[in-house]
Amino acid sequence: MDRAEKRSIYRLAVFLVLVFAAPFVIGLLSGVVFFDRQWLADLTNVMINGLTQGGVYAMYGVGLTLIFGVMRIINVAHGEIVMLGAYLTWSVFNAPDFFGLGFHFDPLISLAVTLPVAFLIGMTIQKVLLNAVVGAPELTPLLITFGVGIAMINVVTWIFTTDFHTVPYYPDSLRITDTIYVGKNRLISFVTALAISLSVFAFLKFNRLGKAIRATAQNAQVAMVCGINVRRIYVITFGLAAALAAAGGALVSIQFGFNPETGVQYTVTAFAIILLGGRGNYVGAMIGAVMLALLENLVSFLVPNGAAVVEIAAYGMMIAVLLIRPHGLMGMKEVS
Amino acid sequence: MTQREHLRNFAFMGILLAVLLALPQNIGVYYRSFLMFTMMWAVLALSWNIISGYTGYTSFGHVVFYGVGSYASAILVTDFGWSWLATLGVSALVGLLLAMLVGYPVLRLKGPYFAIAMLGAAEGTRVIVNVWDGLTHGGLGINLPNKENSLETYYAMLALMMLTLGVSYWVAHSRFGIRLNAIREDEVAADALGINPLAYKMAALGLSAVFPAMAGAIQANKTLYVNPSSEFFLQITITMMLMAMFGGKGTVVGPILGAIVLYLVQEIVWVRFPFFHLIMFGIFLILVARFMPRGVVGLLIDKGWIRKGMVH
Repeated sequence: MDRAEKRSIYRLAVFLVLVFAAPFVIGLLSGVVFFDRQWLADLTNVMINGLTQGGVYAMYGVGLTLIFGVMRIINVAHGEIVMLGAYLTWSVFNAPDFFGLGFHFDPLISLAVTLPVAFLIGMTIQKVLLNAVVGAPELTPLLITFGVGIAMINVVTWIFTTDFHTVPYYPDSLRITDTIYVGKNRLISFVTALAISLSVFAFLKFNRLGKAIRATAQNAQVAMVCGINVRRIYVITFGLAAALAAAGGALVSIQFGFNPETGVQYTVTAFAIILLGGRGNYVGAMIGAVMLALLENLVSFLVPNGAAVVEIAAYGMMIAVLLIRPHGLMGMKEVS
Repeated sequence: MTQREHLRNFAFMGILLAVLLALPQNIGVYYRSFLMFTMMWAVLALSWNIISGYTGYTSFGHVVFYGVGSYASAILVTDFGWSWLATLGVSALVGLLLAMLVGYPVLRLKGPYFAIAMLGAAEGTRVIVNVWDGLTHGGLGINLPNKENSLETYYAMLALMMLTLGVSYWVAHSRFGIRLNAIREDEVAADALGINPLAYKMAALGLSAVFPAMAGAIQANKTLYVNPSSEFFLQITITMMLMAMFGGKGTVVGPILGAIVLYLVQEIVWVRFPFFHLIMFGIFLILVARFMPRGVVGLLIDKGWIRKGMVH
């Protein structure tokens, strides 16, 4: 590790400390912060919420980082796939009711439908549009995925209108003590996200196909020489990433409202996460996700009018990290 | 390029100006505003082209300059009682300031990272405008004082378009523009040749921010209503990108051609299918990026139907 590398790590560390201290400072100055028992309990709740939300964010980030790692493509349509996953979950949730059967599908069971559909969509996008432009000037795939995203937003708007939708699912809270509690839907989605992330991690680590994906990410040419069908790996990778994004969408749908235009926000969130964690770094993406979610929750709790400015936290963090340490928290310096 | 070709191009611009000057008296308000919006899109596409076509830094958030320009004008007209023509200068200044503020950090990024950082900057600015009630009236938007000014806005937009066209033409033919092209082709080599990339990129971003800001200001005074989600609409960025890329980025004629063709098609055909036409925009973007990266103009040059000198 050379000196410049070390310096950039120190700078990033200082930056992160400052960023996480900033909401507290603003809160102190504007009188939101007072250290009594109730406030501390509220702070704990906010931290728990941040942690659980981080699990969902990890679902966005991991898919994007996977695509980037294997194909060096930045998928601008990623947030739109998340949004599509949320709508798919909503559709499956309401489908029996729509046909007059009078019950709803459990959103977690509906993952059995959502994930394969998203996997197929992702595979199709890669096969039809992107396989031809892997390794082309990096702007071409960027513009193509941008176009895919726009088309998706408007297809969804066409079908579902721009109204906000939600999937009501265990809206009550689990009380840990009198004042500390956590929403059941948040807890469920956190556990699900953790399970999915770990199984994908295990898949990449131990499965033959997963190993092939990692080999392609390390060096596509050598992987090809070793007899790996690289095009097929690309298609599978994109499908896997799309399925992860759609899983993220399903978990979003049981916690938050969503409409077609929230997709852009998810893209930027996912991008901020992978920049923080290091492009192509799987574990870094998870850590980055939790950090970003924690920061957002702290901002909305401690800063007056914070719920409205929370989006700026992600954008600000993204731009700042790009400037301080372009290869992220755990990423390696890129060979260009 | 020879003197004769310059003269020919100036003659074309003169004819364009004369026709557009004479037209509005003889046509109805609808066609007048149709022409005005066509010119507005030409301004937006041409200015996007300066940073993204000549300099090669694709911006996904160019709407931010348009948005702050229209907001600056709307606030000054409504809350401070300025005459709308006087606000154009302030809008341009605000656009320029924002370009410097955003550009200084963000222009150090390359390729996709610049594009997405600009997207983030645009979305972040929208959020700020939404939240800052005291200055911007928040999410409700601003209603400008009601008046009929389709003729004045038409002439203002015409002047702005000719200015943008002139500046684009100058960029395409000056040392400044050639240096921007050098940065696009190889930034390290340009740096080694003694071009200060950051300064040139800042200048290019500043130039490409001023005109959208003024276009936004004129537009706000034409439509007489602004709100954060309509002025910072992602679709506007996409439309101007698509127009410039469809026509041919890095040329002077391309963005104008793209603006005319796409706005015409949008107005005539697609406006009847509101979502369908935006879906088509997405698909169009894919097709243009995949099969026609240099646009119609580039395609025609490759076919040998026109010469390169004719479009610059």
